[in-house]
Amino acid sequence: MSEAAVPANGIETGYYVPKRRILSQEDLKRFEASPVYADYMGFLEQLNQAVLDTPTRTECDRTPVIDHLVTLLDTLKQWCDEIQPDEHRTRFGNPAFRLWYDRLTERGPELLKGLVSDEAIPEVARYLQESFGNQERIDYGTGHEANFMAFLLCLKKLSLIRDEDARAVVLLVFFKYIEVMRHLQFSYWLEPAGSHGVWGLDDYHFLPFLFGSSQLRGHKHLRPKSIHNKDIIEEYAKDYMYLACIQFVNSVKTESLRWHSPMLDDISGVKTWDKVNQGMLKMYRAEVLGKLPIMQHFMFGSLLAFDGGSDRAEDEATCGDHAHVHALGQELPTCCGMRIPSAFGAAAAAQDATAATHARRLPFD
Amino acid sequence: MEVVPTETLASAAPSVVPGGDVDNVDAWIEMLMDCKLLPENDVKKLCDKAREVLMAESNVQPVRCPVTVCGDIHGQLHDLQELFRIGGNCPDTNYLFMGDYVDRGYYSVETVTLLVAMKVRYRDRVTILRGNHESRQITQVYGFYDECLRKYGNANVWKFFTDLFDYLPLTALIDDQIFCLHGGLSPSIDTLDHVRALDRIQEVPHEGPMCDLLWSDPDDRCGWGISPRGAGYTFGQDISEAFNHNNGLNLIARAHQLVMEGYNWTQERNVVTIFSAPNYCYRCGNQAAIMEIDERMKYTFLQFDPAPRKGEPHVTRRTPDYFL
Repeated sequence: MSEAAVPANGIETGYYVPKRRILSQEDLKRFEASPVYADYMGFLEQLNQAVLDTPTRTECDRTPVIDHLVTLLDTLKQWCDEIQPDEHRTRFGNPAFRLWYDRLTERGPELLKGLVSDEAIPEVARYLQESFGNQERIDYGTGHEANFMAFLLCLKKLSLIRDEDARAVVLLVFFKYIEVMRHLQFSYWLEPAGSHGVWGLDDYHFLPFLFGSSQLRGHKHLRPKSIHNKDIIEEYAKDYMYLACIQFVNSVKTESLRWHSPMLDDISGVKTWDKVNQGMLKMYRAEVLGKLPIMQHFMFGSLLAFDGGSDRAEDEATCGDHAHVHALGQELPTCCGMRIPSAFGAAAAAQDATAATHARRLPFD
Repeated sequence: MEVVPTETLASAAPSVVPGGDVDNVDAWIEMLMDCKLLPENDVKKLCDKAREVLMAESNVQPVRCPVTVCGDIHGQLHDLQELFRIGGNCPDTNYLFMGDYVDRGYYSVETVTLLVAMKVRYRDRVTILRGNHESRQITQVYGFYDECLRKYGNANVWKFFTDLFDYLPLTALIDDQIFCLHGGLSPSIDTLDHVRALDRIQEVPHEGPMCDLLWSDPDDRCGWGISPRGAGYTFGQDISEAFNHNNGLNLIARAHQLVMEGYNWTQERNVVTIFSAPNYCYRCGNQAAIMEIDERMKYTFLQFDPAPRKGEPHVTRRTPDYFL
């Protein structure tokens, strides 16, 4: 899946396919102190500020870039309607999601034509490719969400998104992305990747709560505790993403909010949306960008550059998103489905002091 | 790898609670069945007792039928109570739990405390295996750590339990015929003796046989495959057939995967998956199941739906630190 960094004509462009570079806590520390971290958080804060006290249906200026992105996301949503979920399933995640993903892999770069230069497509498309979940595991989490932000940040670095577009980026593009994700989650029953279960904000997302709480800052009568009022949710979900998230979680879960989402319930006790919004920023830094299991999968290229990490971070992960684990006794791993030698060879290899014991990514469940 | 397996066959003798305090443990069980937390000190005492009990068990703990085999619970205490209503109370029914007691659900602390207390009280009638979530690293990601902090205000209880998890047996063997474990097979393990020879008293490693037993999944493809989870392997029917044949087994019973009917036969009935958390995370809409094995080794699956929650959970609201 990781394609050649150099385009077909072989001319070096300066762009390259992003790679993972964070493998250890030390790498993560360096990342947190890096310019790219500051860029990412700066972008997030800019977007957060742009929707302060701003209902979702507020008119904002559309540029051709914004229109292109909205059309792109509509196309992805339409594919979801075209690729029907399998009727027969024994597991949770619906395998038809893999077909949807095949199409994204195949046509994703095409969808970026006319938006970014051909040279930049392999780099930018990689982030888009990782923004909608994991094809093999049929799951989705905040790491995938962060890839979409990285995708948008690339467009900002390429000067395709300007400062004055920030509001449109959230209200038109990011919220459209959430719409696509809800559609995918609902249609294909994506498993939550790395979910804390009832102890997280949401099975899948973080940023809609961040931007959503900013939208409500300064609101005349809606308060954090208003999430318990059914009529308010009904009436205001269209205009406030935070309330739309509450509506979504209530619609997909059984029992009351207090049972299935104690975190959201706890946060409803906070006095003001300002506090909620500040808390969301702190929490995002700590619980998403500060977490190795999530950031181990974050990728860096020429636009989102980071040299501080580990060069070998990509070594074990060349087959899609999943790690190429080196089975004991296995000399030359090829790809998925390969056979692994017997336990005897394995036991012999286990005795081999040189057997790889390097840091490994935290697995998914 | 010189560890000599210590096989302790289930005996008909009455259980003896280490420390000798049966009444105490009964009182704890009663509290937990009522969804009430034990005080931190009592959790420590309980874990100390449980360590002695679990330490004596084998990596392949022998279990006799009749026994009821259960899969993932994930802190869904009300549904565990429903499981006991459906399957019978302990000690009237013997139970074998295949791991994943904690993470994601509301009551992981109460659930794992209850199961450990039952183990201490009825050591020969209850078997509790280790799942991939019974690990320090995993519980810090998937909720149990957060829950302990939230309910006890510190991480001590999390530490008592995760230290205890190192002693949980990895697999069980019902009447030499049904091999039970959380995840699945390992390319480094051909025989049950290979499992017996593992040194299990440690955090679940990132790779190797012990990790595989807790992380692997059966797959439609033949042979061994890379697991998309990033730990363990996928194994095909050829692998499970050979393993069962070589070890004189009829069946591998395992948990680890959400299956919509609560149980799912795969690989020409060489492997069965059992999942015992209904409507997982309040939204998955799946049924739960348990597998009853009678004294003639006949098995029956009992499916069940989530128990209705009464009222509201009695955990007080607390503003998370980020929002103070």
